[in-house]
Amino acid sequence: MNHVLNITANNTPAVVERLLQVTRYRGYELAGLQLAPRADSRSLNITLTVSGDKPIHLLTSQLHKLYDIQQLELASAELAVLSA
Amino acid sequence: MKGAELVLQVLQQHGVETIFGYPGGAIMPIYDALYQSTVKHYLCRHEQGGAFSAIGFARASGKVGVCMATSGPGATNLITSLADAMLDSVPVVAITGQVSQAVMGSDAFQEIDVLGLSLAVTKHSFMVRSVEELEATLNQAFAIAKSGRPGPVLVDIPKDVQLAEIDYQPLASNAQKAVSVPTSLANAAKARALIAAAKKPMAYIGGGVHVAGAMPQLQQFLADNPMPSVTTLKAMGSVAKDNTHYMGMLGMHGTQAANLAVQQCDLLICLGARFDDRVTGNLQKFAPHAKVIHVDIDPAEINKVRFADAALLGDMKQILPAISASTNCDEWLAHCATLKQQHGWRYDHPGERIYAPLMLKQLSERMPDNSVVCCDVGQHQMWVAQHMRFSSPRNHLSSGGLGTMGFGLPAAIGAKLARPQDTVITVSGDGSFMMNVQELATIKRFRLPVKIVVVDNQRLGMVKQWQQLFFNERYSETDLSDNPDFVALAAAFAIPGHCITRKDEVEGALEAMFTWPGPYLLHVCIDDKDNVWPLVPPGAANEDMMTEAKA
Repeated sequence: MNHVLNITANNTPAVVERLLQVTRYRGYELAGLQLAPRADSRSLNITLTVSGDKPIHLLTSQLHKLYDIQQLELASAELAVLSA
Repeated sequence: MKGAELVLQVLQQHGVETIFGYPGGAIMPIYDALYQSTVKHYLCRHEQGGAFSAIGFARASGKVGVCMATSGPGATNLITSLADAMLDSVPVVAITGQVSQAVMGSDAFQEIDVLGLSLAVTKHSFMVRSVEELEATLNQAFAIAKSGRPGPVLVDIPKDVQLAEIDYQPLASNAQKAVSVPTSLANAAKARALIAAAKKPMAYIGGGVHVAGAMPQLQQFLADNPMPSVTTLKAMGSVAKDNTHYMGMLGMHGTQAANLAVQQCDLLICLGARFDDRVTGNLQKFAPHAKVIHVDIDPAEINKVRFADAALLGDMKQILPAISASTNCDEWLAHCATLKQQHGWRYDHPGERIYAPLMLKQLSERMPDNSVVCCDVGQHQMWVAQHMRFSSPRNHLSSGGLGTMGFGLPAAIGAKLARPQDTVITVSGDGSFMMNVQELATIKRFRLPVKIVVVDNQRLGMVKQWQQLFFNERYSETDLSDNPDFVALAAAFAIPGHCITRKDEVEGALEAMFTWPGPYLLHVCIDDKDNVWPLVPPGAANEDMMTEAKA
């Protein structure tokens, strides 16, 4: 099942690697990735699409802990907005 | 001043007086600044050892441990220790030198992408790109390391940043303010109702309780709500010694009474623990009748492996009083007391050879109050957890999550420097001891009176035990019968020692070790046939423990 995560993150050099590392380690597959700097270039808008059989909260709760993640919203499911 | 001097200034502002490290090319400016600094640097003999000492310092004191290494191999040598700190939630700040930015990305000498390497083993990591951001980055590193669920943070500082000049005025605001932990008590009433309704409640206590500074609140909670309790490896020493309802460690090598009681309970109150697989055994069969209250500071632990009927997130100090409800479970307490009585430890052991569980019990009874015991990993580690008693989890430093051999000796160095007034003992095995044996040189250099007990069965004992039980006695690469002479090895570092082989030598040898004012190595030879019991075999439920008689 695909899940779409809308993420706002600090625009730091390793932030995308961190997102992808946690996604892989926690057992989800990458199904899509889009990113663009926001107007001030200090933040990034990231759309991360992942697939996996495990409940998605097991991934979102880990991504939330990343220091550079400001906000994370699960677009495709019933979960409400979770602010970092 | 230079960036390198700024690093030391900021460390001092954070109250850092002790750091562990090893110099090299890309961190030379910081070592040059160290030359006239009041920060005391302890030269380790391998960066992994230095970082373990920082972990030992942090775990024994509750402060942030700090270590330093150069780029490339210095940085890669830190990785195992950072992973250890990550899995045991230890606040550590690691500072690494990096090659100058002008050559970064060119495969320069001793250049490695340590930021990339750090991703899986740190809570966060930074690359400092300019001297102007150096102070703020270091402040963030300390804040992240100790906030929430603590963990290791790495700061990689290129050499040109260390050498760059900056007009630096210390900010008054650098003084660390205590950050209040966001705490939700929304589920407190639900938790109280579960506790009040439970007939067989059980407190399952993890390392998160003492890390939160909630030891007094825990004792109060257990006094106000009398119930049996069990602890994880990391929480040994959390329950006051006079609490008669304490049942010991649970899990793979836990006490039979603890495991049986947890399997029978109808409410499991998980406090700062995470249902690790070494605790639960077969997860589907773990505490099958129990509802769960889960209290933690890390939201990601809630519902990770076991569903929580009531979850409370945040500051353990606030949550414990808020979930206090009156328990009424005298029958259950009596039943658990009977379990404890039925499954007590036995120390009768035939022959004159030393029985490690008994020797460790004797060590435990003889060591001064508030001694710190640092373990390595393997059979001796489980025997320490089973047969020694501690008055605080800060007195029992054992590599839990990562299970890192080579932890004990360098961790003891850090613990001794954190608490010079307390006795510090390393209990190691003949396999683990050799993994960071070079740190004997650190003990020699600083004349650290660390007591070293090497429990020697000439085997990689825990692996041997599994080969015996689960791999048809095919003893692949676990024979260490050509070990060095450990007493002679210690003597090469000016550390006196003594070797014992018989039970009747134990008391006298312990007396000699504690009486000697300096570092001392006691080499304890045991029978390679002795195994750790009980044991929950892989895939089994915790009530299906193997014991020596059944094996």
